[in-house]
Amino acid sequence: MKNTKVYVGLSGGVDSSVTAALLKEQGYDVTGVYMKNWSQDLPGMPCPWKEDYQDAKRVAVQLGIPFKMYDFQKEYRGKVVDYMLAEYKAGRTPNPDVMCNQEVKFKVFLEACLDDGADMIATGHYARVKPLERRTTSSQSPVLTCRTDSYDSLHASTAPCIASGPKTSEKEYGLFRAKDDNKDQTYFLYRVTEDALKHTLFPLGNYTKPEVRTLAAKFNLVTATKKESMGICFVGKVGIKDFLIHELGPQQSGEVINQDGVVVGTHEGAIFYTIGQRHGLDIGGGLPYYVIGKDMTKNQVRVTTDINDENLWTNTLTLSDIHWINQTPKSGDHVQVRTRHRAPLVDATLDISEGTTTLTLKDDIRAATPGQSTVIYSSKAVLGGGIVI
Amino acid sequence: MKTIYLDHAAATLLDPAVLRQMQPYLTDQFYNPSATYLMAKKVRSDVEEARTRVAKVLAARPREIIFTAGATEANNIAIHGVMAKFPQAKVLVSAIEHDSVLEIAQQYNHALVPVDNFGQVQLDELKKQLTPDVVLVSVMYANNEIGTIQNLTAISKIIAEVKAERQKNKNPLPLYFHSDGAQAPNLLPLLVKNYGLDMLSLNGGKIYGPKQSGVLYVATGIELEPLIYGGGQEFGLRSGTENVAGIIGFSFALEKAAKKRAAEAKRLSALQHIFTQGLSSHVPTATITTQSGALHNVVHITISGIDNERVMMELDEAGIMCAVGSACSASSDEPSHVLTAIGLSDEQAQTSLRFTMGRSTTEANITRVINVLARLVN
Repeated sequence: MKNTKVYVGLSGGVDSSVTAALLKEQGYDVTGVYMKNWSQDLPGMPCPWKEDYQDAKRVAVQLGIPFKMYDFQKEYRGKVVDYMLAEYKAGRTPNPDVMCNQEVKFKVFLEACLDDGADMIATGHYARVKPLERRTTSSQSPVLTCRTDSYDSLHASTAPCIASGPKTSEKEYGLFRAKDDNKDQTYFLYRVTEDALKHTLFPLGNYTKPEVRTLAAKFNLVTATKKESMGICFVGKVGIKDFLIHELGPQQSGEVINQDGVVVGTHEGAIFYTIGQRHGLDIGGGLPYYVIGKDMTKNQVRVTTDINDENLWTNTLTLSDIHWINQTPKSGDHVQVRTRHRAPLVDATLDISEGTTTLTLKDDIRAATPGQSTVIYSSKAVLGGGIVI
Repeated sequence: MKTIYLDHAAATLLDPAVLRQMQPYLTDQFYNPSATYLMAKKVRSDVEEARTRVAKVLAARPREIIFTAGATEANNIAIHGVMAKFPQAKVLVSAIEHDSVLEIAQQYNHALVPVDNFGQVQLDELKKQLTPDVVLVSVMYANNEIGTIQNLTAISKIIAEVKAERQKNKNPLPLYFHSDGAQAPNLLPLLVKNYGLDMLSLNGGKIYGPKQSGVLYVATGIELEPLIYGGGQEFGLRSGTENVAGIIGFSFALEKAAKKRAAEAKRLSALQHIFTQGLSSHVPTATITTQSGALHNVVHITISGIDNERVMMELDEAGIMCAVGSACSASSDEPSHVLTAIGLSDEQAQTSLRFTMGRSTTEANITRVINVLARLVN
């Protein structure tokens, strides 16, 4: 492993710090890289990038590894923030983290590292990458399984791909859910390409968050007791509204209309409301309201007090912008899906016809929000997913 | 791990003897000095005793001592105080002033006086810039980054000549001389009259006293516009109930600094010599910025090719605390204006480290720092 150069994305948080420490301990030639994706202060939200940068650098010093900074502010603005703003303007609720992984971390970052001489990259995501075995059985489409001989230990699970040499490997690599179901971050990673996975290590995939905290303390890392960060500040729930106002200007207030077509109040801008959302409506008294629809041209938000309203529940999901990590599954395949990070997996049947991908769910779920991702699993394996229309 | 602290220009330990003097005022002697019952009057008289104690060190009158919350506030009161009275006039400040002088000067009609490669104010430039509309000159006594000590006497002589000229030309605009002396008291005399100073700022946090304590000396006859309005404390120049414990602490800290000054200057001068000699022989890539004749506790260096922030962190991991001389290239901060002013390039500035010694520093400390630094950068 001495000869395998791994560039670790150090964010200044505990997860990426432990990632670097584990790889160092295993004998990889590790370099830490801080990705500067955002540094702008926003009103009431000073950007903590410098502290994070210094924490990342300090971890590199503590581990005795080289440290670099890559400036991807232009790429992050162009590929993530602009996409996010366009989606909100269109009345949808995007996942900037999904886009950040697709466009920044597992694209420009990966490319920059490989250009700089890295063999592999690693991040502190809770997920697993494993070589696949193709097992073609009778009428079924290929089923993805990871090699059982290398399932549960980090060393073993990463060893095959190292031993064979990542650049020349003909093996296929798949994305799998993390050991820690509670922390599993595959929801945000389903748009990563197979080629990127081939060059990626996720050492934390076989650890739980409490185990990672313990390791951080064991390694005596400066980030051991650092609070969980939400990544880029405005992506967290608290900041998004202020950020949208900052970027798009103050929004027009408009009517809130209930299930009977009666105006029940006013809203501060339709873009701030998320379909299925219960909070955020300043309408006094009575039952809670749920957002069931938005008319962006009329600047109206439609709500209901009826938790059983048919608009709030669905058993079919139609997806656009489908991405499959490995081969495309077949219509009729039985899969599991989730429409939110950490949501329970729901059994579904896949229907791919004439360019549209539809999932028929075994149980009704709360209506998925347009713009959000639906991620499709086959047991532990992530097949891919798409954007809810 | 036993740590070595070499950032005394940033903060000093609170002297336990000073803390003992402060303690009663944090607890039992909590009374508002402006109240008229006897307990409060006793506190008032203790505050006035502290004022006298400070005045003695400066060879000034007690009435000339204004207690402030640190030197930043003192600098702001001084510059705002004059400039708000003479809004059409101009303030001259040296190019290597602390931000607390530069930032407030920038609020008014101002100009920067350049320094030479050693950080000394260029006196011929100062003369040129002393136009008839200048009302205030502010030049720091000793620089906090590179340790340059200014020739205050020479500057005040130039100022006196300009004042005489103005009298002759019937120019009624006064001309005042202020100095930020935050780094001075441990090592330099503070006899304000000798330097022709009209105002001097001091900071308790750099002299083994409490943080957020300080003094502005204001010579008799100078009228300042206050920055803070209220109950009229500190002769109307700094309203707000007195920080009594801070005032008491400052006064004892300053008194002790003055007592130890000569011996400390001699001791630290020797250590400074050992430090710079050791660097020359063991860290050949190091260039010493601090010139001879500078403040005896400062050793500012650049080491070609290093990432100063990383070396600072590595020293810290080895138990040695120091400062990066300037922001590193990764941050979007500007490089130190002080280093730019003395002619260092941005690249040089980003390789700089600052060590500032103090009462706890020993020769063994310095030997260890040189060994660790040599291991890290060679």
